Amino acid sequence: MDLLERYLQSVGEYLPARSKADTLAELRENLLAEMESREEELGRALTENETAEVLEKHGRPVLVAARYLPQQHLIGPAWFPIYWFALKKSFPFVVLIYVATQCITWFSQGEKGVDLGAVVGHFPGVILTFWAVLTLGFACFEYAEGRYFHRVDLSKGWNPNELPKLEPAQGRQPSLVNRVANAVMAAVGIVWLLALPYMLLGPRLGYLRQMPFTLTPDWHIVYWQMIFLLAVQLVLKTAMVFLHTARGWYNALEVIVQVSGLVILVIMLRVRTYLVPGTTPAAMSLKDVTGLNALIHLGFQIALVVAVVKLLWDLWKMVTGSRTSQKGFVTVL
Amino acid sequence: MQPTSQNELFDSLRLELRRGCLILAVLAQLRVEHYGYTLRKALADQGLAIEESTLYPLLRRLETQGLLTSEWREEEKRNKRFYRLSSEGAAVLELLMAEWNGINDSLHRILEEKAVKKER
Repeated sequence: MDLLERYLQSVGEYLPARSKADTLAELRENLLAEMESREEELGRALTENETAEVLEKHGRPVLVAARYLPQQHLIGPAWFPIYWFALKKSFPFVVLIYVATQCITWFSQGEKGVDLGAVVGHFPGVILTFWAVLTLGFACFEYAEGRYFHRVDLSKGWNPNELPKLEPAQGRQPSLVNRVANAVMAAVGIVWLLALPYMLLGPRLGYLRQMPFTLTPDWHIVYWQMIFLLAVQLVLKTAMVFLHTARGWYNALEVIVQVSGLVILVIMLRVRTYLVPGTTPAAMSLKDVTGLNALIHLGFQIALVVAVVKLLWDLWKMVTGSRTSQKGFVTVL
Repeated sequence: MQPTSQNELFDSLRLELRRGCLILAVLAQLRVEHYGYTLRKALADQGLAIEESTLYPLLRRLETQGLLTSEWREEEKRNKRFYRLSSEGAAVLELLMAEWNGINDSLHRILEEKAVKKER
């Protein structure tokens, strides 16, 4: 019976102190009865191996003990879908807030520059912290529900009339992830443009001086105009994250964003002379730089044509989409 | 479907199907007093074998829920814990049996309909 006592001792290690003696006494009796029944069948005492077989069949001590414990879970099946939904829906906002705070920090630090490696490196920690806090919040709610306040019945208290309207088949608006990604990319664009002069012209200013050409002074004016327009785009794209239900406003903002993009291209086209020959001995000739300027100008012209076509196409889709939506809807799966 | 995954799926569904039935069987069997081992034997003799590691904790849980009562008593010179249905457990058993009979009748009808259609 030494094996039985060892087994019970192992099970007892995982049982709570208040019910341990009682549970083990009952388990001992049941296992002894099981062994006696086997002995009656065999007509002799059980061998050590046969005793071990009975115990093995009964189960691993930690699992046996676990079955005597109250059934617990961090987030139960009733709340898990809500938890998962909250996690998915709030993730893009965490990204947006993180990028926004990094931009604010960078602006407040002035010309110290931005360590993009550190910004990217800190992000997993932020995401993990957010996940842990949300999970802990749900776990605490789950624990308190039923103990400190009445259980929330999720199957009641909703009105089918409050369901969102059917979305038209055409002109469907981008998902939350798309909208947030747009805003984040606008913020990253500004940070990149602001950080670039310090990365290239700051410590490595000499590198640009060694090039066979250099930037014209016009860039100083154009640069701040572009930053201003990009900042306007960032504000509009951030507003679009939240305004997706107001379809008219959303479309209007989208048009304004595209028009501001056109303005940036027009500003670039008006510059005409982007580069001038450098001061190094190996500087490009004026003729070569003029050719290069013409190529860059042509590039901006093509970009402007593409942007205008894209704007017209989107406007046409918006108009036809609004007509279609008046005729009928399709469900969105 | 692969045979192994089919078997696993069947085991999982079988377990789910049995889970509710076991409670009903245990409550019904405990209209007569039993201790753990004899209850398991009695159920097995009637064709419903239950693992010890499932049955004994289940008895504790049903007692905590007030459906069973228990007492330690000496039998054959050994202390044993005897369980029996409480008055609350008896009322719940009646309700569960009515529910079970309803489900059973519905299932019979559904399964018979399928069998008839198959024959045609």
